[in-house]
Amino acid sequence: MTPPTLLFLHALGASAREWRQVADHLSDHDCVALDLPGFGDAADAGHADVGTMTDWLAQEIRARDLTACVLVGHSMGGKIATLVAARAAAGEPGLANILGVVLVAASPPSPEPMDETRRAEMIAWFADGQASRDDAETFVDANSAETLPEALRDQAIDDVRRSNRAAWLGWLERGSREDGAAAVGQLALPALIIAGTEDGDLGEDAQRRLNLPHYANARMRVVQGAAHLIPYEQPRALAALIREHAALATTAALPEDFARLLDSDRVSSGTRAAMLDRIYPMPVGTALWDDADHATVAALVARILPDCGADRALAGRILASVAQGVGDGWRFAELPDDRAAWSRGLATLDTATGGFVALADPDQDGWLDRIAGGTVGIEEDASRLSPVQMRLWFEDVRAETVRIWMAQPATMAAIGYDGFAVGGDGPRKQGYTRTGADDPEAWQRPSQERGA
Amino acid sequence: MTTRQHGANDVVDAVVIGTGAGGAPLTARLAQAGLSVVALEAGRAFRPDEHVADEVAADIYWMEERLSGGSTPTAFGSNNSGMGVGGSTLHWGAFCPRPDPRDLRLRTLTGEGADWPIDSAELTRYIAEVEAFTGVSGPADYPWDATRRYAYPPVARNAAADAMARGCAALGITATDAPAALVSRDRDQPHWGQRQACVNCGACHQGCRNAAKTSMDTTYLPLAVAHGAEIRAGARVVAFDYDGRGRISAVVYSQNGQEHRQLCAAVFLCAGGVETPRLLLNLGIANSSGQVGRNFMAHVATQIWGRFDAEMRMNRGYPSSLISEDMMRPGDAGCAGGYLIQSLGVLPVNLATGLARGAGLWGERLQTLLRGYNRMAGIGINGECLPHADNRLTLADEVDAFGHRKARIDFSYHANEQAIDRHARRTLSDIWAAAGAQDICAVDRSAHTIGTCRMGHDGDTAVVDSDGRSFDIANLRICDNSIFPSALAANPALTIMALSLRTADRFLASDD
Repeated sequence: MTPPTLLFLHALGASAREWRQVADHLSDHDCVALDLPGFGDAADAGHADVGTMTDWLAQEIRARDLTACVLVGHSMGGKIATLVAARAAAGEPGLANILGVVLVAASPPSPEPMDETRRAEMIAWFADGQASRDDAETFVDANSAETLPEALRDQAIDDVRRSNRAAWLGWLERGSREDGAAAVGQLALPALIIAGTEDGDLGEDAQRRLNLPHYANARMRVVQGAAHLIPYEQPRALAALIREHAALATTAALPEDFARLLDSDRVSSGTRAAMLDRIYPMPVGTALWDDADHATVAALVARILPDCGADRALAGRILASVAQGVGDGWRFAELPDDRAAWSRGLATLDTATGGFVALADPDQDGWLDRIAGGTVGIEEDASRLSPVQMRLWFEDVRAETVRIWMAQPATMAAIGYDGFAVGGDGPRKQGYTRTGADDPEAWQRPSQERGA
Repeated sequence: MTTRQHGANDVVDAVVIGTGAGGAPLTARLAQAGLSVVALEAGRAFRPDEHVADEVAADIYWMEERLSGGSTPTAFGSNNSGMGVGGSTLHWGAFCPRPDPRDLRLRTLTGEGADWPIDSAELTRYIAEVEAFTGVSGPADYPWDATRRYAYPPVARNAAADAMARGCAALGITATDAPAALVSRDRDQPHWGQRQACVNCGACHQGCRNAAKTSMDTTYLPLAVAHGAEIRAGARVVAFDYDGRGRISAVVYSQNGQEHRQLCAAVFLCAGGVETPRLLLNLGIANSSGQVGRNFMAHVATQIWGRFDAEMRMNRGYPSSLISEDMMRPGDAGCAGGYLIQSLGVLPVNLATGLARGAGLWGERLQTLLRGYNRMAGIGINGECLPHADNRLTLADEVDAFGHRKARIDFSYHANEQAIDRHARRTLSDIWAAAGAQDICAVDRSAHTIGTCRMGHDGDTAVVDSDGRSFDIANLRICDNSIFPSALAANPALTIMALSLRTADRFLASDD
């Protein structure tokens, strides 16, 4: 799979140019750095409030018709990245190609922490139109741990000075204060959250408090010796972090034609959101299960669905689902509640087999055959399951395993299923016009599996 | 829908508990007669296009836990139980054959099961009225009933239906387009608006997104509201108040975490075959017969699956687009009653869990079948289940969020069900082999929640009389599948809707 396009969003008073050195270190990626409205070459666009900027970015992503992309947002650009990621998670069409987010000293969706004296000072710089050279120097130098190389410093200063006055004031007076935290909620999209060790208001502590809670699958990294202008200060280190995250995010990517179908107007926002949410698991408290439990469930997965092998990720999803206790509306009366049944079932399996994971495949199959036959179990022990209970629990294990696996968008892609693409949000639902055997519609992806 | 609001201190003529097939038609009928009616629904209200075409994300099922016991435990949740304004009609399959008149007189004709205390001709008149009001698609000529006419032409057959037609033809079994409670042409539904023609999306069980399928929220409930009925969503009934004569004077319900009371003159309990008896048992009422919870029935719903050389893509099209009633009296089967056959297209998770549970599969065989989803197709039955003393709903010790004890349902096949299952496996496997299926396997399954508050002539052996009126509480009526004395081979929703209209008419004609 080709690497995803990297979409770079700059900070207040900066422009696409701030990413040039970073992009030089990512030449094997398609790098697109954008000038946000009111800044850089787009200064004439004037002020765009946060909502308008978010709309604009969503439209830019759609217009570029990208197979896959990762949003990289610096400071102010980070807030816009998170807000667009939230709209993707809500199932908005044309955004399902966003595979991940990198936040660089990013402004959070909630009000950005900012010293009010400094805010007033920055507002004052643009009181009479354009900031003075001196004021712009103050801004750039205050945000760098060490003075930037001359050419870069001049460029950064120039970008501040060419910022649109209304855009500059709009962010400081309103945009940075807008609170979108509740609307964003918690996103499943994988995020890399980066802070400079020498940054002030948007340093590591602020990132942990204000950005991290919005991403269920997030990693934090700090860049040593960098303040706020990390793309200028440490382009090589930053590029390495972005590269690693893009690779990680790509592992979850769906086949290109499937991803395009999912992003099309044949799919409703609600269905798209549900499927995207399932690509990245929401971590839940795993205190219930230890590593041995995960290993045992992975071994069971390999016996139930041989194509999957001992899939630890699938095992994790299964155990997380049991831990969440949502259930499917019923359980066997012979079994305790699901969590207890799985704990006791796994313990019984290990005791009865003397360690299930270590057994050879045929021996594991033999035990499962006997469990299904109702002859394996431990009677009269409140921490174990009886043979009757083991038979029922193994039925639950099979059902839960195939349910979770089948509901994965990647599985749907693999088996050639497209029943989610039967009706978007328009006034007429598309459905299917052809329903007979061997009569695919033009838009349908070919089935991988051939007949026997 | 703009809803009329009734005040907390208004004594309304009727409170209806549940807005599914049992509660909705009578809510409309009572409102049309000028009565003040409040319908309470535990779930939330949906717009059709809010439904999600995804098996795991669809949120229209009653997912509160029930305990299932017996030798053939039946599954609940998405298998048979709905939640939301419209109840189970939000997710039902819309397969709507009429009940066979012989099934209502099973005891008289076979000496087994139970007779219905309602005349078949009378029930059929109500069924025809439901069909006319909601719009049903079906064949021009129905082989098992020469008088049958459907308002709309049948929906397109899918690949599973074509295979079943092929297999049945080879074996001399009659099959035709299934009666489906959906509109195959655009229809203007009074007081609701346009229900668009079915687009063959195949996601009936996840909720119909263009209102083609008959669902109470797009048919009877708008009619009810237009005549002044009030529907309160998210309202979970927890108790009743009584007057000095033992009649219910108010319905107590929880909504948004707060307790409310609705004063009323009459109550219609229409919460379905599990929640209706569960509420009565939790409150310890209406059970002088000792019959509440007894005679739980679930249809024998055995399925046969197979792999075809052709690409079936069985999720396309109305899932059950072919029917056969030829096995309604399989002479050689050793069972009272019989079964309907239908073609099956199901979505992947349903297939996978069915094979993993009901066929006991895992490993390479299961993996191969699932990998080949697009070449799979099925055929299934809906078979008569007789009431049995051992099959019953009781209360477990565990309680739910409202302090009510959870339901425990014990269900085991007995001779009749075993005979139907045996006969169906053989017959369906033959049909599927004749259709060209390979790697054929059977899935054990039962469906629907029936019985538990049976109606009858005698208060010692029944919970309600033939009008659905409690023998114990004069102003309590029950209308849902809990009052069925026997299961009937036909899928229950159409009969429940018909009973609902009849219950309202009998109430209006009574001296209450």
